[in-house]
Amino acid sequence: MVIFGATGDLSGRKLLPALYNLAKQRLLPAGSAVVGAAIDDLTDDSFRKRAAEKITEFSRTQPIDQRVLDSFLSACFYTKVDFGRLDDFKTLQRRLVELDTSRHVGGNRIFYCATPPPTYETIVEQVKAAAIASGDGFHRIVIEKPFGSDLKSARELTKILQRVFHEDSVFRIDHYLGKETVQNIVAFRFANSIFEPVWNTNLIDSVQITVAEEIGVEGRGAYYDRAGALRDIVQNHALQLLALVAMEPPLAFEANSVRDEKVKVLRAIRPISEQEAERSTVRGQYTKGWVLGEHVPGYREEKNVAPGSLTETFAALRLFVDNWRWANVPFYIRAGKRMPKHVTEIRIQFKLPPHITFGREATQELDPNAITLRIQPEEGISLRFGAKVPSAGLRIRSVTMDFQYMTAFLTETPEAYERLLLDCMIGDPTLFTRADEVEAAWQLIDPIEAAWRDDKPPLAMYAAGTWGPPAAAKLLSQDGREWHRP
Amino acid sequence: MAPPVSATIKPEPDVVWNRENVSMSVVLEALGDIRKKFALEEAEDAEHPHPRSCVMTLIAVASSEAEERRAQRAARTIGMLHPAQLIVIRDQPELRPGQIDAAIVTDTHRPQSAYAVQCELVVLHVRGAAGEHLAALVDPLLPSGVPTYLWWVGTPPFGRQEFTDALRVCDSLVIDSTRFEAPYRSFMELTRLGESSHHKLGVADLQWARLEPWRETVAQFFSPADRRPFMNGISEVGVDYVGEGRGNRVGASLLIGWFASALGWKLQKAAAGAGGIVAAHFAADGWRPVEVAFRSVPKEQMAQGEISAIRVAGSAKGKTFKLTVMRDPERPRRAAPDIGAGAYQVLHATGGGDDAGLELAQRKAAWHRDVLHKNEESLHHTATGDPPGERPSQPGVFVHERRGADNSLVLLTMIDIGGADTLRHVQRVEPEDEATLLLRLLANGAHDHVYTRSLLAAAELFRAI
Repeated sequence: MVIFGATGDLSGRKLLPALYNLAKQRLLPAGSAVVGAAIDDLTDDSFRKRAAEKITEFSRTQPIDQRVLDSFLSACFYTKVDFGRLDDFKTLQRRLVELDTSRHVGGNRIFYCATPPPTYETIVEQVKAAAIASGDGFHRIVIEKPFGSDLKSARELTKILQRVFHEDSVFRIDHYLGKETVQNIVAFRFANSIFEPVWNTNLIDSVQITVAEEIGVEGRGAYYDRAGALRDIVQNHALQLLALVAMEPPLAFEANSVRDEKVKVLRAIRPISEQEAERSTVRGQYTKGWVLGEHVPGYREEKNVAPGSLTETFAALRLFVDNWRWANVPFYIRAGKRMPKHVTEIRIQFKLPPHITFGREATQELDPNAITLRIQPEEGISLRFGAKVPSAGLRIRSVTMDFQYMTAFLTETPEAYERLLLDCMIGDPTLFTRADEVEAAWQLIDPIEAAWRDDKPPLAMYAAGTWGPPAAAKLLSQDGREWHRP
Repeated sequence: MAPPVSATIKPEPDVVWNRENVSMSVVLEALGDIRKKFALEEAEDAEHPHPRSCVMTLIAVASSEAEERRAQRAARTIGMLHPAQLIVIRDQPELRPGQIDAAIVTDTHRPQSAYAVQCELVVLHVRGAAGEHLAALVDPLLPSGVPTYLWWVGTPPFGRQEFTDALRVCDSLVIDSTRFEAPYRSFMELTRLGESSHHKLGVADLQWARLEPWRETVAQFFSPADRRPFMNGISEVGVDYVGEGRGNRVGASLLIGWFASALGWKLQKAAAGAGGIVAAHFAADGWRPVEVAFRSVPKEQMAQGEISAIRVAGSAKGKTFKLTVMRDPERPRRAAPDIGAGAYQVLHATGGGDDAGLELAQRKAAWHRDVLHKNEESLHHTATGDPPGERPSQPGVFVHERRGADNSLVLLTMIDIGGADTLRHVQRVEPEDEATLLLRLLANGAHDHVYTRSLLAAAELFRAI
């Protein structure tokens, strides 16, 4: 595996620790090697030293198993690569050929672009020019989101990638899909017979998807100020979650079956016209406030953010999936930074019973049934239903039945990157995004972006540490609903 | 309601973690580690860790050390009975800004036939401006999908940022109106809370829970079918509450509000006089007048605002009736050990100070003589077990409990109907500390529509006087 940008943050925090943990579980293929490729002047030894530090700091399993670490590091190598210099890529090719020979890996190569998206084209062109992705064995490329910044650029990126790699060899990584709880959405829906019969417009009132972060832009101001919440979170993570919740049962948990069904859902989402954007979307930006007991600055005061920036740090949408199963069921999505807490969850809200047998007084504290799929941080599922309050009279109150991953299984939940890297090595793209999924998502997002550029709706400010601007609450209250507090 | 379950907690909590000047992220991480450690320790080999459940979040906000101690004790007691996320916040806005000191206290409950439960209490000492943003502090600690109760242990700072902010994240507010420092102003603020808070906010008052024995006793009088017409024949209601001068008349007003809202009385006029006397004129169905009076009475070792007596009189179906419910007037009451000094005041000597006090002292003395005289037979019988002897037994005397040297509430009920012999009923109500009262309110969900309508009717009366 060649990691372009191997000295960067993603590599140090996620990729190297994930690879170490795969090694610890003896899941790395025999003879496999990691080749770091970046602009920094490092030797194999200095790269290994740096990798050891990062793994020690960021590995989910502690304490570090020194024997495993030493063994893993012995398979780590480094080649300095300036992405603009073809000669560097040719040097890299020679190093890879040597390793192919010495480690008997049969020419199988994975190229991981842990670099900013603008570098993807250059890397792919240089890989082609240096003939690194030719010859025996498989050649796969992994790229990180964002996959373009709109439909046009996403299509261009796909074309660039496909000049060298077949679509089946392009692994677009959305780390959310590698989370156990996201995969569990599919298990929950299709491995149980009791949920699927109620999973439709007949009994479901609405669906809420919340992707909230308590952090600000954390040094990514320059990138975030160009992207915003809609592109950074909604276009990928949130729509992927929606697709998994709303899709029809796939024939098998197999790459194309799952991805075919997801694409059908994304294509069935009713497009939001520029006029409709004013009624069905909310965009907000945080001002200074209090989060987790600490005073934090406003977005415009963050480093590398334009002082008068109009970039949204909060986005809320009301979507409809126009198919038989979901007719007239609103899907509310909200995503934002500097929210009160870090949480991702999907709440399936059911309709009230057609007749309240017990009268209004007895059921005044009864909420509709709800299933909450908690993706992070306390991964689990809860079911809310009514129960009689123990007393002489008859009063019904909502109670929650809870399943928590942390306490239900003895095994530790692996990091998303471990699962995704392994899937890439064995060539299973089920949990990776296909080109047509990306394009379907951009087709939905582009008109909203266009409306937002015209200030429709206007940018609404919200204090850091709150659940977004008042307009977000109004988006639901005008439908007679309210956001669930995660 | 189902009787409360008892639980005991260790007098001194196990502080398993504490740190000064921390962010909430550190607290969250520590809490996660403590839970994980417990889950793994309790799981036996080859067994899955036991599921952890949570039925509610209780956030108690204290503004003094005494309040914090009470809040911690009550929270821990509740936590032992019901798995809950417990948070006690000591708000110290006057100290240096922006600092949070945190501690995590655990109690482990090992039921005989169920898994062990570890209750964690998060104690936060919040200094400076951070206290004005309580929602930002506690929101990350709130479990999803369970109700959140905010218990403001002292007088809530109605209208202030810290209070408004805290209300954002809770489903229900619990207060104790007997502890309001400025009862009139705070009560009126309480009744206006609905205008500024989210529409689903429930409000519960510990004082309302304390009134339950009184309300039940009054309701029981009207319960037999042949007495139901009396409800539409009430012409007078009198309430005595503990206090000096105007004192804290919230409880008395809530009781009157309860009568008025349940029976459809419309307030016509009301006036307040010296010494805490209030006279109000209501119109019942058909413009039948109902006269209401309440006044403060000094009582030693009882909290301000507690009800001391209720008198209901009227006539219906050609019969007059009079119901008198009195709190044990002579028995000294021990202060609950968890209530700090000063919570119960020794009031001025009976009869001193003002006209109302003098009148009340005279009335009280007469009343006590009457009660003792009329109860002589009953008290002798229940105290000794001896047969009633030659004297004819008093008809309709029911003695459920011997009066004991405890802090329980003993209510003496006297019923006069149509000139027949007085029926007497002595009942002892089990002592209830704050945790028990809180539990009762939380069990009812803090969305008690009877309380809400009584509160609104009481507010109308408050405004009129």
